[in-house]
Amino acid sequence: MATLTEAPPPLAPTAPQAEPPRRRGRWTPYWLLLPGMLWLLVFFALPMIYQASTSVQTGSLEEGYKVTWHFATYWDALADYWPQFLRSVLYAAAATVLCLVLGYPLAYLIAFRAGRWRNLIMVLVIAPFFTSFLIRTLAWKTILSDGGPVVGALNTLHVLDVTSWLGWTAGDRVLATPLAVVCGLTYNFLPFMILPLYTSLERIDGRLHEAAGDLYARPVTTFRKVTFPLSMPGVVSGTLLTFIPASGDYVNAELLGSTDTRMIGNVIQTQFLRVLDYPTAAALSFILMAAILFMVTFYIRRSGTEDLV
Amino acid sequence: MKTTTDAGGDVRLSGISKTYGSFTAVHPLDLTVPQGSFFALLGASGCGKTTTLRMIAGLEEPTSGTVHLGDQDVTALPPYKRPVNTVFQSYALFPHLDIFENVAFGLRRRGIKGVKQQVGDMLDLVQLGEQARKKPHQLSGGQQQRVAVARALINHPKVLLLDEPLGALDLKLRRQMQLELKRIQTEVGITFVHVTHDQEEAMTMADTVAVMNGGRVEQLGSPADLYENPRSTFVANFLGTSNLIEAEVDSRSGEDIVLKAGDGKLVLPEARCAAPTTTGGKVLVGIRPEKISLTHADDAGGIPEGRNRITGTIAATSFIGVSTQYVVDSAVCPEFEVYVQNVDRDSRLAPGAEVVLHWSPAHTFGFDAAQSLLAGTTGSAGLDEEAAL
Repeated sequence: MATLTEAPPPLAPTAPQAEPPRRRGRWTPYWLLLPGMLWLLVFFALPMIYQASTSVQTGSLEEGYKVTWHFATYWDALADYWPQFLRSVLYAAAATVLCLVLGYPLAYLIAFRAGRWRNLIMVLVIAPFFTSFLIRTLAWKTILSDGGPVVGALNTLHVLDVTSWLGWTAGDRVLATPLAVVCGLTYNFLPFMILPLYTSLERIDGRLHEAAGDLYARPVTTFRKVTFPLSMPGVVSGTLLTFIPASGDYVNAELLGSTDTRMIGNVIQTQFLRVLDYPTAAALSFILMAAILFMVTFYIRRSGTEDLV
Repeated sequence: MKTTTDAGGDVRLSGISKTYGSFTAVHPLDLTVPQGSFFALLGASGCGKTTTLRMIAGLEEPTSGTVHLGDQDVTALPPYKRPVNTVFQSYALFPHLDIFENVAFGLRRRGIKGVKQQVGDMLDLVQLGEQARKKPHQLSGGQQQRVAVARALINHPKVLLLDEPLGALDLKLRRQMQLELKRIQTEVGITFVHVTHDQEEAMTMADTVAVMNGGRVEQLGSPADLYENPRSTFVANFLGTSNLIEAEVDSRSGEDIVLKAGDGKLVLPEARCAAPTTTGGKVLVGIRPEKISLTHADDAGGIPEGRNRITGTIAATSFIGVSTQYVVDSAVCPEFEVYVQNVDRDSRLAPGAEVVLHWSPAHTFGFDAAQSLLAGTTGSAGLDEEAAL
């Protein structure tokens, strides 16, 4: 019997492997990207360029606008409308905090305690979307109407005295006050807070709660040290999804507010559609965008959720 | 099991049970785990071993019965008030905390200051001193497992509960960790309660093993005792391999029972029989494959008197190296397994050869014939039956 003393020779050098046999699929990723890229180009990039050029034009409606690189429009817009900017950020921040306070317990309930009711509650969270944004906001007008049951109840409980003193409401009215606008914003953006919160809470392994309990953490401590830190990605995305659209919103301020509660969205809308001062409107839009980008970047840096995601 | 003065780490379960709706996960159970012992709960998945462990930890509320740790009744205490820590099956390390903070978690919750030294020592004990600032996902499975052990042990619990702690590791690492855990247990002297489905793991590590099946403890004892003297077919089949023969009680001679199996007679010490023995009654006789000697039929005259014998034909052989495994067809048992050490190989022992199987009656065990022959074998026929009931 012959003994095997030689290992089999290695395979011949890799001439056939140089060209992968997948040539046909080479362009597939690009084809798949194409519709999305076109969409972005037509509905995002081109309008942005157009608006950017509008913002540095001068002229009038009758004589037409020309690009004159008139950057002073930005300073003028900021000088004229900084209160509305500030108000937008404040209202949006208030609504975001309210959404978080209202949404977190609900998301927690759905993720950990709802059991077989989970799907039903999820449907209820999303149900308002079946009605138009505008109609829902108009409904709030009815709810908060002067002399209505809500205002009556708040009056009887002397809540309105406190909110009036804080400057959130005026006299016996809720409608046409900051409180009404913030309530509308909160209501309209609540689902955008709940859904990401739910997603990140639901991903938390239940055994981590057990492990924390096993390691002497009371339920409250478990929440503080384990559940909440692990839900940070949801908190961050939920607050962003609420704060960003809320700060640019104009429907709530328009329908539920007054001239004293105008937000920057209202100003931009008026400039574009009523005053027809396109450069100012475009400049305001860019300032808003820059401000949001700045705040969001700062926020994400601060929250330090990079290595959690 | 009565304990002496130091009952600090005894785990006493009295009449403890757990039902989910109409399903009974654990039937009323009495169990005492003495202080400082390494105790294993062994069984197939769904046998109630993990539920039992979770009731000790406080993660599951018993339907009835009480849990005592030493003299303290902890049945009503939530997990965070029990002096017990758990190593979870998938470790359940906190992904947002680094290794140091994971290990320090329990100390910090109890308000202990200056944990640095303790955590450092504990990490050195499990050989992870260098990894303190890494996050759990940056470690290998074996390292994560050691973190989980360190995180539990640092609290000096009265009892350490281990829920299939080695299940996620590969074979080689598992062997290594088995030795490691055994070493740690000997070193710290804490009571370990270890849940596993791996009979080899239970036998190598534990002082005492409780074999569970269908929510009940089938048998409890030292690994050697369970292996040598199983009291049910489930235990006989779940721990190693057993050959089972149906036989009928024929007569008695002193301490022994003489049984009739086919044409032959088998002798079984009465002390090793877990069934009532009335003449004419059915009994299952068992014998481990490695206790059997195999002799070619031509040499049958040389077999000493007093040994149990069965004749048959070799159906298959497989050479393992250290031993050779034979499958023998006989009238009383269709597939008799025999393991023979490769000392002097008899070349005549090939498939088709007529052979005599013989063994010492002292190695024979017997039990009630009214149970499934297949209980505890792979595929766990016994378990499925339980579930169907």
